[in-house]
Amino acid sequence: MRAITPALIGVASLALLASGCASDGGTNNNGGETGGATEISIRGCTPENKLIASNTNEVCGGNVLQAVTSKLVYYNPDNSAPELDIAESIESPDAQNFTVKLKQGYKFHDGTEVKAKNFVDAWNWAAYGTNTQLASSFFEPIEGYDKLQCGVDKESGEADCTKNKPEAETMSGLKVVDDYTFTIKTTTPTSNLEVRLGYTAFAPQPDSFFADTSQGKTEFGTLPVGAGPYKIVSNTATEMVLEKFADYSGAHAGSVDKVTFRIYNDMNTAYNDVVANNLDLTDQVPADQLVNDQWKNDLVNEDGTPRYGTKETGVIQVMTFSPIDDQLKSIDMRDALSMALDREQITKQIFNGARTPATGWVSPVVDGYKAGACTACVFDPTKAKELYEKAGGYKGTLTIAVNGDGGHKEWAEAVCNQWKNNLGVTCAVEATPNFQTLRKGINNRELKGLYRGGWQMDYPSIENFLTPIYSTGASSNDGDFSDKKFDQLLKDAAAETDLNKANELYQEAERILGEKMPSIPQWYQSSQYGYSSKIAEVKMTPFSTFDLSSIKLK
Amino acid sequence: MGKYIIRRVLQMIPVLLGTTFLIYLLVFLLPGDPTDGRCGQRPCSPEYVASFRAEYNLDKPFIVQYLLYLGKLLHGDLGTNFYGNTVVSELAVRYPVTLKLAVMAIIIEAVVGIAAGVAAGMRKGKFVDNLITITTLVLISIPVFVIGSLAQLVLGVKWHIFPVTSTNGTFDQLILPAIVLAALNVAYAARLTRTSLVENLRADYVRTAKAKGLSALRTVGIHTLRNSLIPVITYIGASFGSLLGGAIVTERIFNVNGVGSFLFRSINTQDGVSVVGTVVVLVFVYLVVNLLVDILYGVLDPRMSRD
Repeated sequence: MRAITPALIGVASLALLASGCASDGGTNNNGGETGGATEISIRGCTPENKLIASNTNEVCGGNVLQAVTSKLVYYNPDNSAPELDIAESIESPDAQNFTVKLKQGYKFHDGTEVKAKNFVDAWNWAAYGTNTQLASSFFEPIEGYDKLQCGVDKESGEADCTKNKPEAETMSGLKVVDDYTFTIKTTTPTSNLEVRLGYTAFAPQPDSFFADTSQGKTEFGTLPVGAGPYKIVSNTATEMVLEKFADYSGAHAGSVDKVTFRIYNDMNTAYNDVVANNLDLTDQVPADQLVNDQWKNDLVNEDGTPRYGTKETGVIQVMTFSPIDDQLKSIDMRDALSMALDREQITKQIFNGARTPATGWVSPVVDGYKAGACTACVFDPTKAKELYEKAGGYKGTLTIAVNGDGGHKEWAEAVCNQWKNNLGVTCAVEATPNFQTLRKGINNRELKGLYRGGWQMDYPSIENFLTPIYSTGASSNDGDFSDKKFDQLLKDAAAETDLNKANELYQEAERILGEKMPSIPQWYQSSQYGYSSKIAEVKMTPFSTFDLSSIKLK
Repeated sequence: MGKYIIRRVLQMIPVLLGTTFLIYLLVFLLPGDPTDGRCGQRPCSPEYVASFRAEYNLDKPFIVQYLLYLGKLLHGDLGTNFYGNTVVSELAVRYPVTLKLAVMAIIIEAVVGIAAGVAAGMRKGKFVDNLITITTLVLISIPVFVIGSLAQLVLGVKWHIFPVTSTNGTFDQLILPAIVLAALNVAYAARLTRTSLVENLRADYVRTAKAKGLSALRTVGIHTLRNSLIPVITYIGASFGSLLGGAIVTERIFNVNGVGSFLFRSINTQDGVSVVGTVVVLVFVYLVVNLLVDILYGVLDPRMSRD
């Protein structure tokens, strides 16, 4: 127990740590320039896994891999539009058969050239069941993916790789045509495949990756070799150092020679270091610094210019109606709860503007976004009360389940209070000890009432906010939502080769969510960041990471 | 002496067995499966869950899990954590930093604490005594995270006297965390020294020494202090043992990459293997340091023979 009590005090210290007073911005430099070479330091955190593109699904490793790898497609940091990177062209006559042509001359950090087989082999390896890659589901659209999964054991009913090896080792939908051309065939039409290909899991792997025989490719994963603008030169418990790759031939070369991801266990500490100009970039500002715009006073250059910024990111928070709660089945009830919610007030008072009220189920940063799909997201307490009474009210205590370790209790309490005041419902917040227990309760469908759901986009497409969460039987369909017309629209949109027309179909599908209310959209998230006086300009991507090619020093 | 040491070492075995069992029980019977939240809002693929459970023996009954773990432990293998690194290698990187910090803190604690205690004890009831009593009272009553955060904000962020963080664990970076870490213990050490010294100054042998015409410096420095330091050494020894366990709060505030912050992160990420491995090592270190302290008694006071 000795170990656990101080940890709790540590959490309590967050509040005090950050409640300091305004600062003048600081003056000391940490020797950024040595012999003409430029360098910067960025807040890093300990990656949860070895740095393998297809096994990294969290931000600590993702930050680094984003700079180390190049993909077929690059997301523009301003509007997150996909632009061709390694790909010369990606063409498809029917949204199902794609021909990918590569630019010549792209090199991995070990000097070998990026060829078609580097993509095909990497994807096959990542999708192969026995390799248990966390991001393997990204390859699901490709034809033959299911043959690479382990068979189900008859006794336990679970996938078992020891008894039932996958039937095939390569996906039938991937074919190498020549060194710079390969084809992709998807199981069903997937019109936005191109948008997906910018995700890190789709990065090519060099020959040295396949030559690594260590368990789980741990040797390669410590100092991974990619084709990105930066190569990783050291990876320790305290920092990960990247250097500019001299032979990088792409359009997004780094502007700084050396980038150090310094590992912080606590974002408050990193923030303090940026205020004191000891660290050049932090992608997180502690929530209590946002109160009364404290951070805007702290992060100011000596000449009065700001050294902070905000970027809207592809994250949406919703409350999902539990499928096992019969009292919440009626649309009137669902509309009432949503209408009784004053999103404006909560985003201002609890989040200090770091959230924006949601008007639909899709984040505004993505291609295809259209505001206002959720008609019941407009605050209207009188109508809400009417609908609530029409639906017969809620008997017993309505619960909102949140994980207690993520700072969600405050807004959930506020939501409960608004419902109490506006509808007269008895409402309580049920906080689980941690995220794991919340997920367990949701995955096993044990919770009643509503539960928290946060979705961070994998790739910037309207489709990513609809298909994985609300299509029938989808992997993240926590509310077991199922609607034939909705599913059909998604199918039609996926088969539509014209991207604009496809987006229109997706928008139409989103309007169905507005009628059926499978969940209550709450707010979109934005990221706050701070930088040192050394930096003149920096851009944050809608994925909350820094775009290293856009950094300009003074 | 030899017999005593052997007896003490043998006593460690049941203590270690008991603690590892308890820790293992607490960590692995926590609610929530470690794979539940590992794939974000999606459930992890069944292949992933199956291989994860098999790798960490989570598919076996608890007692079998524990015995398998114990078997590995006997070979000095603390296991491989959920992120593919061996716990031994993780600790090997972090222990030098924590050790450095602990030694620096203990030196500050011993030097400042004993000096203040002697100063107060010699002038009992005078201004210096009152000043030290009040100062130590203030230090004892403020929680360490307040002292730490305040010191970081004022001395680091505002005045730039000390580095704000200690990411690389160099000597100059560790000075401020060491002072913060020592602050509380200094207060206790000073108070113990004072009380013990005041008591001993009334002893007969001190009067004899004075009557012999020995100087005050010799009376206090050689005769009294040696006897007075026994409880202080016990205290400092025990606090050194717990400092080696890594100061979770201080290490977090100053971003020291030591054992404490590793333990904190492991608890947060539900990395059970790391938590158990780290705590087992901490228990062991604590026991060894305590044994060393007990042996030290004999050196200070030969009357305390152990045989």
